[in-house]
Amino acid sequence: MDQFLNVLVFGLLLGGIYGLVSIGLNLIFGVVRIVNFAQGELVMFGMYGCYWAYVQLGMNPYLSVLVVAPLVGLLGVAIQRLVIQPLHNESNMQIFATFGLLMMFQNIMLAMSRGEAFSIGGTMGAEVLSVGDLKISVVRLVTLVATTLITIGLHVFLRQTMMGKAIRAVTQDKRAARVMGINVEKTFLITFGIGAALAGMAGALLTPIYSITPGVGGNFIMAAFAVVVLGGLGSVWGAYFGGLIVGVVEAFAGYYIDPALKSAVWFLIFLVVLIVRPAGLMGQVGAEEVGFREQN
Amino acid sequence: MKTLKTMAGLALALGLGFAAQVSAQQTLKIGAVNPYSGPLALYGTEVTRGYELAVDQINAAGGVLGKKVELVRGDASNPQQGIATVEQLATKEKVDMFMGTYISGISLTASDAAMRYNKLYWETNAVSNALTERGLPNFIRSGPDGAAFATTSANVLKNLIATNLKKDIKDLKVWLESEDSIYGTGIVEAQKRLLTEMGAKIVGVGAHSARSIDLNDTVLRAKQAAPDVFVQTGYVPDGNLLLRTFRDQGFKPGAILFVGTGDTPETLEAIGAAYLEGVLVIGYPRSNDITEAFGPGNRAFLAAYRAKYKSEPVAPQGMAAYSGALIMFEAIKAAGSVEPDKVHAAALKLDKPESSYPSGFGIKFDKNMQNVRAWFTASQWQSGKMVTVFPQNAALPGVAVKPLGRP
Repeated sequence: MDQFLNVLVFGLLLGGIYGLVSIGLNLIFGVVRIVNFAQGELVMFGMYGCYWAYVQLGMNPYLSVLVVAPLVGLLGVAIQRLVIQPLHNESNMQIFATFGLLMMFQNIMLAMSRGEAFSIGGTMGAEVLSVGDLKISVVRLVTLVATTLITIGLHVFLRQTMMGKAIRAVTQDKRAARVMGINVEKTFLITFGIGAALAGMAGALLTPIYSITPGVGGNFIMAAFAVVVLGGLGSVWGAYFGGLIVGVVEAFAGYYIDPALKSAVWFLIFLVVLIVRPAGLMGQVGAEEVGFREQN
Repeated sequence: MKTLKTMAGLALALGLGFAAQVSAQQTLKIGAVNPYSGPLALYGTEVTRGYELAVDQINAAGGVLGKKVELVRGDASNPQQGIATVEQLATKEKVDMFMGTYISGISLTASDAAMRYNKLYWETNAVSNALTERGLPNFIRSGPDGAAFATTSANVLKNLIATNLKKDIKDLKVWLESEDSIYGTGIVEAQKRLLTEMGAKIVGVGAHSARSIDLNDTVLRAKQAAPDVFVQTGYVPDGNLLLRTFRDQGFKPGAILFVGTGDTPETLEAIGAAYLEGVLVIGYPRSNDITEAFGPGNRAFLAAYRAKYKSEPVAPQGMAAYSGALIMFEAIKAAGSVEPDKVHAAALKLDKPESSYPSGFGIKFDKNMQNVRAWFTASQWQSGKMVTVFPQNAALPGVAVKPLGRP
């Protein structure tokens, strides 16, 4: 029982990481309706960007978010404009195209890094808060707080701004939004840009925790897709709470059942949610259909 | 006139062809199968550098079987490519035999493909036990296998760690952790068997995915079991995450032993010298960090490496490859041929004590053509550097084992 609190805490902290990498994916998946396989690689770019800013320029990793996130965002805009948009009538091809991007991005970084793992964990990120028996890693706590703030920020953006309202309108019905005078292409461009920037931000925030390799994005993306579907397509809070749920379930299953079975346990929950409530826990009912309904 | 020119041309062409044929006969072509592209290119190249240095040395001494040796690289970054590259080297490049490999999975398929051409596949680096257990007639391994990882770790636990912690091996509480593929779990199984025989107390066995993004559960479980020693067999990223989680959770086992990885600058960069101090790693012997008595020629290897590549060795795999290539040339000389069955028979008769080669290897092949006199060594992180501490005759004079516990 004494470990219960400890497990809960590291589960929540892990949930923060899952939430962080899922928010951008959720936006792209939920609004642009693209299964972006290259999302993990955008996280990876954020990590390398942060690493180089730290090693070459001595920039604090949290400060480098301000540089790295917009750059990855611009890359996202370019992807949407140059790759996704020309294929707008070929939704299967869009998926293959993002897979092509995944391979390309990984191999570019492979060539540049020669396959060596990079890390900044030796010089920063060792701080631990001790509360009684509880040990809380400061960098992970920062990640959870950042995820919460980003979620609130995104929520406000989508509710309060014209652009946010346009994004929500497009999420609900592309055709009706167009009739209302919303520039759907521009909305997609901006959404993809924001989604990519969020991935870049996630990468930068996670740099103090992980060793960076060209394949590191793949470690997060499987869980992120599950979090997005579990939480609800297009729902900002869905991604946040979906992340926390997966994190906590994984922690408890790993500690109390078996570390080798932890993924199996939360994928089981994922399947049950999908069957009982296909729109996800916090998704608008019917949202899951939109992605497969013919829309022009 | 025209006829004369044609005839001269023909004669010249014939002559050139003849000359080419002679030079082909005087060259022994060896296909070097390794990943030269993809994530493992760095290490595949490093292994091949070991071969190149051995080939330079053998050619300078007049070659082997009266022929000059030529290495032909065949890129294989996965098992499928292993087959394709062997086929290409056998048919297009017409190599006489093969050697490799940084990765066991690639060796498995490539050596099988080489068998179809009835050509020798000399293995210097891949460690999977399955490779020699197949009993493939063209396959010989000069380097240590996975079982050697387990044997060396059991020896280190008994003769170095238990002694240092002032405990009898029978009182030593051990946690065995690994990544969850056949590589890690296979070694853990062998470790468990050996340690149980020695009477050590296995207080826990854990497996995690090499792609894990959180290992708090594993570390908390281990912490509850309060082991004297935590033994990890895995890859670089999961090993780094494990050490970082130890640090975050304040988990301080009496000793930490890493098997196979954890000895590179990647781990130093991820954890920092202060926390790594005292951590033990089992791996290939490193040049310039072992005595000449243990690895005769290891300094000469380093000097040749620096002279040829103008850099420091990337990983100790290169010297193991170099030692393996030297053993291979010895076997070929003894066989007077590169035909698999002749080399096989000749290699079985070779008998050299341990510490005959730069990596400390000797030669004695078992019936599966596994060299049973090839071992790993153990090193310790000391002030941000890896220092060989085990076996004792490998450690440089003046080297002492630093305290094993965490600060």
